[in-house]
Amino acid sequence: MKIVKLGLILAILAAFIVPAIARAQSDPGVRPGAINGQSGATATNPLPLPSVLQNNPAGSLEFFQNGLTRFQAVESVSNSPTGNSGLGPRFNLNQCSGCHSQPSIGGSSPASNLEFQVIANGVVSGSTNSIPSFLSSNGPTREARFPFFFNSNGSPNTNAPNGGVEDLFTVSGRSDAGNCSLPQPSFSTAQQTNNIIFRIPTPVFGAGLIENIDDSTLLANHSAQASNNFGIGGTFNHNGNDGTIARFGWKAQNKSLVLFSGEAYNVEMGISNEIFGQDRPLPGEDQLGSGLPSSCLNLSGTGYPEDITNFSPTVSSSDSFAQNASINSDVVAFAEFMRMLAPPIPSSTTPGGATSISNGRALFNSIGCATCHTPTINSTQPSNITSSLGRSPVSAFSDIEIHHMGTGLTDNVSQGGAGGDQFRTAPLWGLGQRIFFLHDGRTSNLLSAIEAHQSSGSEATQVEENFDALSPSQQQDLLNFLRSL
Amino acid sequence: MPRPFLFCPKRRYMQINFTRYLVLLGFSLALLASAQGAPQSGGDFSSNPDAKKLPTNTILVKGAWSSASDSATPLPETGKVAQSVYTNPYFGLTYSFSPDWTEKYSGPPPSDSGYYVLAQIRPANTSKGTSRGSILITAQDLFFTLTPATSALELVNFTTANLSTDYQVEQPPAEVRIAGHSFVRFSYVSPVAQLHWTVLATQIRCHAVQFVVTSRETNLIETVIQEMNRMSLPNDANPTSGMGGSDLPVCIKDYVTGENVTERVDPILTERRFNPVPVRIVIDKEGKVKHIHFLSAFPEQAAVVTDALWQWRFKPYILDGHPVEVETGIMFGHPPRATTPRTTRVATE
Repeated sequence: MKIVKLGLILAILAAFIVPAIARAQSDPGVRPGAINGQSGATATNPLPLPSVLQNNPAGSLEFFQNGLTRFQAVESVSNSPTGNSGLGPRFNLNQCSGCHSQPSIGGSSPASNLEFQVIANGVVSGSTNSIPSFLSSNGPTREARFPFFFNSNGSPNTNAPNGGVEDLFTVSGRSDAGNCSLPQPSFSTAQQTNNIIFRIPTPVFGAGLIENIDDSTLLANHSAQASNNFGIGGTFNHNGNDGTIARFGWKAQNKSLVLFSGEAYNVEMGISNEIFGQDRPLPGEDQLGSGLPSSCLNLSGTGYPEDITNFSPTVSSSDSFAQNASINSDVVAFAEFMRMLAPPIPSSTTPGGATSISNGRALFNSIGCATCHTPTINSTQPSNITSSLGRSPVSAFSDIEIHHMGTGLTDNVSQGGAGGDQFRTAPLWGLGQRIFFLHDGRTSNLLSAIEAHQSSGSEATQVEENFDALSPSQQQDLLNFLRSL
Repeated sequence: MPRPFLFCPKRRYMQINFTRYLVLLGFSLALLASAQGAPQSGGDFSSNPDAKKLPTNTILVKGAWSSASDSATPLPETGKVAQSVYTNPYFGLTYSFSPDWTEKYSGPPPSDSGYYVLAQIRPANTSKGTSRGSILITAQDLFFTLTPATSALELVNFTTANLSTDYQVEQPPAEVRIAGHSFVRFSYVSPVAQLHWTVLATQIRCHAVQFVVTSRETNLIETVIQEMNRMSLPNDANPTSGMGGSDLPVCIKDYVTGENVTERVDPILTERRFNPVPVRIVIDKEGKVKHIHFLSAFPEQAAVVTDALWQWRFKPYILDGHPVEVETGIMFGHPPRATTPRTTRVATE
């Protein structure tokens, strides 16, 4: 009798719940079809800007291709047959494209995490390195930071903010690393004490357009949004040297693409360059007075900086543009590649069809998402590099401002003028083919990412509330729209 | 002859010295070991399994933030929701809302253009995806607004005039009475979202205080507005002229000019920052600074500006033949930005 009653209850529950689940809105997932919505783009050959594709000005295409090639170069500690020495002594991975590869080179974290495979792939020695527990085979590629230094008893010291990158691996034990012996940072203790945060790679598609927006245009957009009824404020991060608006990185801490690539080359891969001229110790090694041991310096044997401008071409090609491009340092070549990389093209039909996407776009504007995720900023300043960069609209879906994102997303890392809970409005172009969301890649579910915008102290709480006020089909339209980008 | 030497007093003295040296050497080695080991225990390395944990979901590292010269004087951002009542002593505002509504999340700190999220109220039974409505209470400091408006009415009019094409106006701005006070009411709808907004704005102490009610259900909005008649407000609340006075300071824009200032010590900000530092001060009847409120400042900026402001002296402000307290705003740090917005967004995209 009890079993019959239980069965009846379950049947009634199923009758109500199953249809509800079937109706419920969901993230359509990574959009299939053309990479970046571009005909001709492949996973290893992202397209340049239209004018660069036409090689206008002459040589620009050669510089783009040169940067793309170097972006994929595998770095060694020393004795690289291809001249790519200088890796480490601490690093996160040995290749730019190892992390920036979804949906193609220049993108964000891929489905298969190469950081998780560094021992299996012989990038690091398994006898001296272990894979931190926050990495997984199909999780996001990550960098780690400790918000605070530890004090002498091993507790995070909130009077001593840190926030610098704690490189995941060391070159110790590699055959090309000599006698350098370095331990990995204490990731497990940092996790036990909640003194660790993560960042995933920011995609760099269309980065040249963002770089070429004049400050006055951003300020005018800021003023235009000031009378919103969504509880949104916002401000800008600034470059410490000239005081102008900085715009790259999760907290808009970097002013330019050269600075962005120079910092990444040094911090993520341990390669000194013409902007960051020394091998980088961990924040604790540097600020507590030890620095790197001498046995771990100049491992490449080249002297410093390891990446330099070449005084003469390094290729024997008869193509003068190829020769010119080879003169660039890696850092400048990376910046040229990112600067000339085309922005993704949204789909008008996938997923969900044209009507749903169009509806979702209107909903995105109406409920307030567009206040921060400004659909289009008109327009870039004139460009002295290539015509596609000049006088162009920038449909990045970002105001390039930093906003308070509340207790739910705070990472307690200050960068420039950005506090622990302030983040740059993440550009949404290309979102449709991204796998991991939010600064730390905590979710692959777009719906969860939207919900994470709401917490105490967040400027986006009311907008998320408006999202919650939409019907399931409207929410689905909005999700379809986002995945169309 | 070394042997006698072994027993001589001098030898004993040397033994003592040698022991001292050993002790000193031991200490030195210990110190050296400690010094060399510092990075292993105090930097990026730690192995203490019983170490203290940081709290989660807590903003520990703040950037430019609000602060004040004392913790007793009410501030716009220190209003609270408790037992279905929003109370804001600074604005003299008490708003009793429906008992089945609540505040789940508090707002961000004030912006550096003087925008406050005072409270975000919604039905307590809201579950994911089923929000019925919300009440957003905000304030815009009219001394620092980026919008070309000098009153709450002008602010609402500007919002109306610049309303995106995604919305349709349902009721243009018009004066209404709420709880016996004058408000400007403005309603609009998003046809695609089927969401309605009604903005009720008044002006208190030179702030545009706005209640933004959002819902799919217009009758719910009207119910909320009806319940607002239970609100209590200061006497001078008015969309065009809420300037304090009576028991409150009189708020005057740009009071810190010309002959009003009799003594001034400029702060020397040594740290290169690029943020605006909007400050509200209250000047007492004798012309001394009585209270300082930083809407947004880094701690070192607040400290230096505070030290300077305490030394400022003003000509007492006379109203109806009597000196009265004055509240005004000063912008330090980065120069104020242009307040004439250009349309740069393609609104329909």
